[in-house]
Amino acid sequence: MTFRSKLFWVFTFALLLSVGLIAAGVMVVSQRAFEGLNQQHSDALVAQFQREFERRGQDIVHRVQGIADAEPTVRMAIDLSRPKSDVSIYVNDARGVSRAHQLDILDFVANDGSIISSAEWPARFGYKLSWVTQPEDWAARGSFLTKVETPEGPTLALLSVATVRVGDNNLYVAGGQRLGKEFLASLVLPAGMRALLYLNLDPTYQPANLLDAAGPANDAERFAPILEKEQQQPGQQTAKINWTSDPASAEIFHALPLLGRQKELLGVLLVGNSQREVAILENRIIWLALGVVGIGLVIGLLLSWWGAARVTQPVRKLAEGAREVAAGNWSTHVDVRGGGEIGQLGRAFNQMTQQMSEQRERLVQSERVAAWREVARRLAHELKNPLFPLQTTVENLQRSKEQRPEQFEEVFRESTDILLSEIQNLKTITERFSDFSKMPQPELASVNLNEVVRSAIRLFEAQFGAVGRPPITPELHLEENLPAIQADQALLHRALENLILNAMDAMPAGGVLMLRTTHGNGDVHLEISDTGTGLTPKECGRLFTPYYTTKQHGTGLGLAIVQSVVSDHGGRISVESETGVGTSFHIDLPGQPARRAQNIPIVLEKEKGKEGS
Amino acid sequence: MSRRPAVISAVVVLLLCAERVETARRPKHGGELRLEISEAVQTLVSNAGRESAEEVGAKAQIVALVYDLPDSPGKQPVEVKPGPFVMAEWDPGNHAVLKANSDYRKGRPFLNSVQIQMGRSARDMLVDLELGRTDLAEIPVEQARRATDRGVRVSVSKPDELLAVVFPAGRAATEDARVREALAAAIDRASLVNFILQKNGEAAGGLLPQWSSGTAFLFSTAADAGRAKELWAQITGSPKLVLGYDSGDSLEQSVAERIVVNAKEAGISVTAQGIPGAGSAASKQGAFDARLMRLRMTSPLPRVALTNFLATLGPVAKIDASPLPDPASPQDIYDRERAIVSSYCVVSLVWLPQVYGLSARVRNWKAPGPGETWPLADVWLEGATESAGEKEKQ
Repeated sequence: MTFRSKLFWVFTFALLLSVGLIAAGVMVVSQRAFEGLNQQHSDALVAQFQREFERRGQDIVHRVQGIADAEPTVRMAIDLSRPKSDVSIYVNDARGVSRAHQLDILDFVANDGSIISSAEWPARFGYKLSWVTQPEDWAARGSFLTKVETPEGPTLALLSVATVRVGDNNLYVAGGQRLGKEFLASLVLPAGMRALLYLNLDPTYQPANLLDAAGPANDAERFAPILEKEQQQPGQQTAKINWTSDPASAEIFHALPLLGRQKELLGVLLVGNSQREVAILENRIIWLALGVVGIGLVIGLLLSWWGAARVTQPVRKLAEGAREVAAGNWSTHVDVRGGGEIGQLGRAFNQMTQQMSEQRERLVQSERVAAWREVARRLAHELKNPLFPLQTTVENLQRSKEQRPEQFEEVFRESTDILLSEIQNLKTITERFSDFSKMPQPELASVNLNEVVRSAIRLFEAQFGAVGRPPITPELHLEENLPAIQADQALLHRALENLILNAMDAMPAGGVLMLRTTHGNGDVHLEISDTGTGLTPKECGRLFTPYYTTKQHGTGLGLAIVQSVVSDHGGRISVESETGVGTSFHIDLPGQPARRAQNIPIVLEKEKGKEGS
Repeated sequence: MSRRPAVISAVVVLLLCAERVETARRPKHGGELRLEISEAVQTLVSNAGRESAEEVGAKAQIVALVYDLPDSPGKQPVEVKPGPFVMAEWDPGNHAVLKANSDYRKGRPFLNSVQIQMGRSARDMLVDLELGRTDLAEIPVEQARRATDRGVRVSVSKPDELLAVVFPAGRAATEDARVREALAAAIDRASLVNFILQKNGEAAGGLLPQWSSGTAFLFSTAADAGRAKELWAQITGSPKLVLGYDSGDSLEQSVAERIVVNAKEAGISVTAQGIPGAGSAASKQGAFDARLMRLRMTSPLPRVALTNFLATLGPVAKIDASPLPDPASPQDIYDRERAIVSSYCVVSLVWLPQVYGLSARVRNWKAPGPGETWPLADVWLEGATESAGEKEKQ
């Protein structure tokens, strides 16, 4: 990943993070605001319910008291106070009275607690309603919530009790209204809110006891957790119910426990607040935020891209400059403007390349001088050897002519032989230098390296087993399916001859010369190993330097020629050697020479010992 | 001596009063009796003249007014002859007008005519009685006391209609006799009589009333909630019973609801359920574990009455419904009653009388007993004259 890309993604991430944090903050704040609004609505409804509850209670108290104060009731009380009074005549009275006073529940109860007449369950006459006769100031009690038995089963009612006292006897009038769907229907609810009533008539949660304004509530099982919790620990609670996976379907319910006279839990009012409006508003906010984020993101991305490009342009130029330098163009100059760190870096880079270029020039100059000196030294050394015999031979001829004329002829013949011999030596030396200077450019053709190896070995077969020298055993490990390469067969042959000669020189006591060819990754690999004396690491380091030799009569050009040939083919040569074990040369040649850059340096892979070469 | 004229005067006054009283008690011809019934009679034709004396209800009573039926119950007439009245107007289910038959074999009725309003509700009939808009009307037995309290003249027959809980055969829930016995023991008959019937009626233990069989006192009518609980505790599964009643009969509804309360107190789960058109054959096949049935005596004779009851109950309950021997001894009748009562397939509740409301001018009315017809041929109206009656008619 480029520096520009990295910088772009850093900018983008920072932008996303900041936008996300802002969006989340807006969401949290708006959500809390909505929750507060919901809470206000629920509190208002709970307060309304309590006011309605209280108002109804007062209304019931007045109605029941009105029944108790009515003439027929007083007459009933008087009649019942008589001994052996006939209560059967009143058995149907409660129904009519309750209808007249719009009460669902009305019981006339005698002093002993037996029901004289019941509106909600007419057939229950004669049975006891004992809680009514318990000592209590019913007038002070007002209305209260209680469980009432009806033919359909127990139900909840808001009840009030009034007493009509005649002598020592009381006639109790217990009347009230059912707390059910009618009561819920009478509540005025804001849009999106609803009220449910759970009649806690059983020890465990019964879905059928949960009512809404239309009757038994739908999906009542979903309310089990909150109502069971309420049954265990009555108190105001809040719970959220997600009806579907759509968040808009959720409702938040506030539970309000309804307690009886003994503070027992008789019912639970559930005030539901639909989250639809909130979800719609939240959705709108989210979409708006997403829109802003999207636009901001696009703008941010463009700005990030522009910023990254602006910041990284000098860096990119520096990188390109560095690549140019690495490719050998030491005089590279980058155009970096500005006064920041990047500008300073650019100027430092330019200064550095300038200095490096100057130093390189100086180094090349000094190397050139050194090379010339080496050439001069070698040339002087090479020429000095034949020159000295030439000089002494000529001096010997002069002395012989002056001092021993009679032997001059003989001396002359010998001296001229010597002179010719040395002149031949001088000629040989100059030819070698001439050959090295005239290394041709390779003429590429399809070449099978195995054939080149076999041809070279055949050339030296006679010398491997020559009489008077220890034998050298050639071992060929040539890969059969070696692919052909584009190369100059003559140059490769020449390089191989040099390496074989070198190996033979390294094995004066005989040994094994192993040649191995392999291929891989489009390259062909040639290994030439001998079992000679090996080389020292220092020798390995200078092995391919022209005119460097470890041999007494070597010119130091053999391996330089090999390296030159390999290099001209885009290949690579390396040497590994171990003293006393032997030396191995590894040559990698590409299938297509163009694949490799020129002047690839020689790799010294392993240096273990010293070997004459 | 001075007292003689006074005494004479007094005697004269007394004689005049006595004559006036005698004149007042003397039957008078004429007038139209207004009769209201709850039943909407649609036709008299199907079995016209062939109506059995054992048939009960308004239709049979009207038939008996129009046709001359044999005096002896069960005896079929050889030849259909006109009864004390003849049909003058007939609007099925709505009203009818009967005119006095001058050629009636037992003599012309006192009344000139009888106007019958059919399909009247109990409330309307009671209101009409109070307002003097009718002379004779049926009153539900549970409202008899109320009618009396409101000043209505009431005529009550002997209790001749049995209200009973019948357990239909083949119901798994009531197959166990202990279930039936438990429910029977839980029912408080006294409260039914005292509160629901307002003391018009008798608690029933057997299948015949005391006045008919003379052995009704041998059957217990007392509730035994302890026994009911004990029996119910022995029953595994605690079945939930459904008690059916005629949804158009307020008395049956009240009784059924009371039975539910009694049962609940004994721990027995019973639900009362109204049966629309309880008289129809289809309703008798309903999915009820028990049902309330009214059984009207068709004869004061215990053997005949019981035989007819068995004929009615036989297809419903799992009882021995074979006819009693003729003649049957009181022991035979009692044994059969006892066998049925002990099976708890039929649980007698109360005996109901027939209650009629009368206007003040109706004279010589006597509530008919089992097998008897309305004595309209003998009824006369106070203050009515033949001419007046004719005028009224016009």
